Amino acid sequence: MLELRDVSLDFRSSKGSFDHGVHHVLDQVSFKLYENETLGIIGRNGVGKTTMLRIMAGILAPTHGEVITRPGASASLLTLGLGHRLDLNGRDNAVLSAMLQGASKAEAMGYLEDIKAFSELGDSFEEPVKTYSAGMKSRLGFTTALLTHVDILLVDEILSVGDAEFRKKAEEAMKQRISGKQTVVFVSHSDTQVKDLCDRVLWIDQGRICAQGDPDETIARYRASMKK
Amino acid sequence: MLLKADSSRFRLGFLWWFLEPLLWVSVFFLVFNLILDSGKKSGDFILFLACGKFAFLWFSKTVSQASGSIVASQGLVGKVNMPKSLWPMSVMHESLYRQSTVYLLLILILLLFGVTPMLAWLWMIPVVAVMYLMIIACGLIGACLVCISRDFQKVIPLAMTFLLFTSGIFWDVRELADQEKAQLILITNPLAFMIDAHRQVLMHGQAPDMVHLMLIALAAAAFTALTVSYMQKNSQYLALKVLT
Repeated sequence: MLELRDVSLDFRSSKGSFDHGVHHVLDQVSFKLYENETLGIIGRNGVGKTTMLRIMAGILAPTHGEVITRPGASASLLTLGLGHRLDLNGRDNAVLSAMLQGASKAEAMGYLEDIKAFSELGDSFEEPVKTYSAGMKSRLGFTTALLTHVDILLVDEILSVGDAEFRKKAEEAMKQRISGKQTVVFVSHSDTQVKDLCDRVLWIDQGRICAQGDPDETIARYRASMKK
Repeated sequence: MLLKADSSRFRLGFLWWFLEPLLWVSVFFLVFNLILDSGKKSGDFILFLACGKFAFLWFSKTVSQASGSIVASQGLVGKVNMPKSLWPMSVMHESLYRQSTVYLLLILILLLFGVTPMLAWLWMIPVVAVMYLMIIACGLIGACLVCISRDFQKVIPLAMTFLLFTSGIFWDVRELADQEKAQLILITNPLAFMIDAHRQVLMHGQAPDMVHLMLIALAAAAFTALTVSYMQKNSQYLALKVLT
C-alpha cells in the first residue's frame, strides 16, 4: 500500500547561521504498510513520529530516500480542529474541516447532521466556536475528522479527547473504523490503546526504527528500555 | 464565510470596511490641506485623496495580509498537503468582495461632491481588473518570500510606506515640475500609474493609457503564473520551511 525506503529528513534549525545546526529528524527509515492493517507507532516525544506521518501524508518530502504509494491511494492525517475559525459557529467549522480533509461541499453538508448527533453538542452547534470549552472543541474536531473517508488514515494521538464517556464512544467508533476495510497508521502513548487496536507496532527512537513486530512484545521492550 | 468571521469580530462589524478608508482620507486631508495648506480647493482635494487612498489601501492591506497568510496558518500547513497558493488567494479574493463595497462608497462620495456620472466610468472595469491582477502577483510573491524567510515580514511594512510616499497618494504625479521625472515615476512604479488611472477615469472621465495598462496586466499575469508554478513544484519544501 505504502512503502518508505531509506527515508531521511534533515532541516536547518532557524539559528543555523550561528551554529550551522542541522537537525536529523529521521535517519534511513524503511518499512512497508500493508492493506487493511493497523500499524502502531510508539516512541518518546520528539523522535520523529509526527514527521513520519507528515511524510506519509505527502505534506513533507524526505531529504533522501523515497516514498512509494500505491497509485490512487489517498493518505490523510486525522487531526482535531482542522481549520477552526473561532468566530464562526460549529456548523460552519464542521463544513470547513470536512472540506479541508478532501470532501466536496455537498458531501460536507451531508455529514453535518451525523456530526451534530455524534458530537452531542446540541444547540451549541450553532454558537461561535470561541464560546466552546476545550472539551467541546475536541468533540467537534474528533467527530468531524472521524466521519471523513480516506484510503490510508494517519492518526496522531487524538483518542484522548473529551470526558470519560465521550472518550469511550470515540474509541468504539475508532475500533469500528479500523476493523472494517481501512488501513490505519496510529501514533499513541497509550499502551492499552495500541495493544487493543494495532496488528503491528513500530518502535522509533532517535529517528531510527528500534524494533517492529508483535504489539505485546514490542511494547514490552519499549517499556523495558525506558526503565534503564 | 471568512467575511462573516471578519465582520463579527468587531462591534461595528462590517462598518469598519468603510470607516477605515474614510478615516484615512480625513487624516490626510487634515494634514495636507489644513495644516500644510496645499492651496487646493478642499472639495477637489478630498476627491483626489479618496480616489488615491482607497485604491492604495486595497493594495497595501491585501498584499501584506496575503504575504503573512501561509505562515499564519502554520497549523494547517502541517496537517494537509494543499496547494500553498490557496491561502494568499483566499485572502485576496476576500478583499475583492470587501473592496467592491468600498468602490460603491467611492462612487457615492463622487456623486455627493457633485461629479456627474459619466459613461467613461466604465473604464474602471479594466482598471480594477488590472489592479486586482497586480495585487495577486505581489501577494503571491510576498507569501513565497515570507515562507522562505520570515525576515521578509519585517521589510514588507517598510515597502508599503515607501510605496505610499512614491505613488502619489497625496501629491499629483502630473503636477511635478519636472515632467521627465513624472514619466519616470509612472513607468517604474506601476502602482503610481494605477492610482493616476483611477483619478483620470473617475474625476476627469479620461480613458487610461491602454497600452501601459495592458503591459502591467501582462507582467502581473506572468509573475502570477511563475509564482503559482513555483509554489506547486516546491509545495513540500515550503511546508518544511514554514514548520521549522
